[in-house]
Amino acid sequence: MTTLPVAPANRKPQAAGRNPAVSDRASTLTGLLWISPWLLGFILFMALPIAMSLYYSLTDFPLLEPPLYIGFENYTGLLTDSVFHKALWNTALFCILFIPAASILSLLIAAALNQKLKGLWVYRTAVFIPSLVPIVAAAMIWLWLFNADQGLINIALRSIGIEGPNWLGDRNWALPALVLMSLWNIGQPVVIYLAALQGVPQSLFEAASIDGMGPLRRLVHVTMPMISPVILFNVIIMTINTLQVFAVPYIMTEGGPDRATYLFTHYLYDNAFVFRKMGYACAIAWVQFIVILTLTGVMFTASKKLVHYRVA
Amino acid sequence: MILTPAITRRAALTALSASAVGYALLGPRPERNRSDGRTVLDYWEKWTGHEGQAMLRVVNDFNNSQSRIWVRYFSMGGIDQKAMIAIAGGNPPDIIGMGNFSIPAYAECNALEPLDELASDAGIKRENYASAVWPMLTHRGRLWGIVNTSGSLALFYNKTRFKQAGLDPERPPRTIDELDEYSERLTKEDAPDLKQVGFLHMEPDWWTWHWGYYFGGSLYDEASNRALADSDATIRAYRWVQTYPERLGVDRVLRFQSGFGYYGTPENPFLAGKVAMTNQGPWLANMIKQYRPDMDYGVAPFPVEASIYDPSAPVGLLDSDVLVIPRGAKHPRESMEFIAYTQRPEVVEYLSAVHCKNSPLARTSGGFIRDHPNRYVSVHAAIADSPRAFVFPRTRTWEQYVAEFNAAMARMWTLREPADNALASVQRAAQAELDQVADRRARRAKAAGGAT
Repeated sequence: MTTLPVAPANRKPQAAGRNPAVSDRASTLTGLLWISPWLLGFILFMALPIAMSLYYSLTDFPLLEPPLYIGFENYTGLLTDSVFHKALWNTALFCILFIPAASILSLLIAAALNQKLKGLWVYRTAVFIPSLVPIVAAAMIWLWLFNADQGLINIALRSIGIEGPNWLGDRNWALPALVLMSLWNIGQPVVIYLAALQGVPQSLFEAASIDGMGPLRRLVHVTMPMISPVILFNVIIMTINTLQVFAVPYIMTEGGPDRATYLFTHYLYDNAFVFRKMGYACAIAWVQFIVILTLTGVMFTASKKLVHYRVA
Repeated sequence: MILTPAITRRAALTALSASAVGYALLGPRPERNRSDGRTVLDYWEKWTGHEGQAMLRVVNDFNNSQSRIWVRYFSMGGIDQKAMIAIAGGNPPDIIGMGNFSIPAYAECNALEPLDELASDAGIKRENYASAVWPMLTHRGRLWGIVNTSGSLALFYNKTRFKQAGLDPERPPRTIDELDEYSERLTKEDAPDLKQVGFLHMEPDWWTWHWGYYFGGSLYDEASNRALADSDATIRAYRWVQTYPERLGVDRVLRFQSGFGYYGTPENPFLAGKVAMTNQGPWLANMIKQYRPDMDYGVAPFPVEASIYDPSAPVGLLDSDVLVIPRGAKHPRESMEFIAYTQRPEVVEYLSAVHCKNSPLARTSGGFIRDHPNRYVSVHAAIADSPRAFVFPRTRTWEQYVAEFNAAMARMWTLREPADNALASVQRAAQAELDQVADRRARRAKAAGGAT
């Protein structure tokens, strides 16, 4: 038997003639008051620094001296900075290699994990565990896996007659090596895809089977449209994260050899904390923000035709 | 529908106010007050391991030697970034131990306390130090740091490998040509790969920029604010560097290098016998003592181009750690008192001995060289005293300069670009940075209405 909760006896009854707008305002103020610690923290540690970084991007600011206003010189400097162009190109290449591969691989793994198999929990755990390993520890292990002489990858390749490259020492292979290493860590998108696949109504598959659709057509015309919002989400999140990748190349290759793995965020970090050009680093950060925002906007626009949202 | 008790504004305000008051009264605060009334100084230092322990002992000895000042020693990584942020944030420690190459940048930004007066009052004078030391501590005519320890680079060579190759272990190479000849004889193959090499410029790859000095070149002229990366001597030097991968094969060299262990481990390629000769500082002797105490090795000044060979004036990089007082430090006089304590000859010699380094002082006690744990310390000392010892170029754009050199060296070492072109691109980039810094300095001065 369901018992309806009763309002406490000491609750003040709403006074007759009381203005509901005033009551709403009071309620809003109370809510703001409760979230004020978070709000204060957000303003002090996020909003204000972001606004300050926009100002600093218009200055020469070595951090140890006060900022000197120089207008848009930092931004015009980026146009002729060959190192910045190199970092931008490397980052774009990294995204082009990583995002499609990670999306397809994580979807395939999620589909495989969506089967009724014995010991499925073992496979699911194994797929997700890399996400829990600290990135520095993982990078150190992969440094030795990729070793040209004694690394396990080249030893395995040698055993089947293939001479592996000098993965991290060869400028043609260093970036693909980092992409390979990053593909090891796709546990999170797999889990999200798995949840999406499990949310596709069985009735749709049954109806499709009745209509004579084979497995491939069911995949293309039922599964993919049904999980398309999740694909969009994962691709957007991957794009945002990949454009900001820092730890892996910083630890494994320090941007080398010959800046072959020198990425956007690493260049930003070097300008800010090594070269003491915080103003220039802020300009780079804002360019990065605009690039990410633009790409996200493009993806959302493109999604209108490609993503199907279920009607409740 | 679930109803919750109304949360009033009064309750919200009370809870938040109580939290704020509680934090203010009971929250974390720095422990800079001592019950004995001593002035507390915070000293940040990058040393760890036995080097850190030695410095900690010096700090403890100082604390026990008087009753007015108490120094707290903090060992940390990433000290450059942390120091910069602390100074910029207006809450720096009292003393920072940094590399001498940081002095120009910090000095030009007025991020350090000038030490001329403080040092003079403490009896610290230029004459106390080896000739190459004082220029490392000064910038634009003022004193900004005091040397902590220093060490010069020299050629370490494996005498056992020399004997195996039929070379005289007591006759290390003196010129570049001899180095090439020795290196060739010391190189062994395990076809198609390399098994052992005589010498590799990229082992270690810490100083990709300094080869020009062994050909009589330099990288920066402070008077004219000109980078000199594409000078004739430097180009000759890097053409010579490229002869090694040309002779040995780029792929073979890279594959060989990829199997090297890290510097601070027994798999260090020199300790492991994979590289018979290496250019390193006196600290390598500590590593040898720890991991290969039975190693039969020798140390000599690094070879130079034959035309500039002069045994009485060896060429070598003098590197040093310095102690600085950051701008905003609350107790500069007390900080200088501690720094002056570290400059006592017995303290300098103790620290230098533990670090296996030569002393930065002009004069050492009779027992320093005799009892030194590094049996080749006299070689490093002779280099430090040499008129041809060189230091890091005194420019605040040094980090950018090195970054360009590292990238160029990667191209030269893999023979993707000839030395002339690679160094020309370093020259362009370095000079552009120097010019930009000069321009911004002038604009700051104009904005401040004062002289540069």
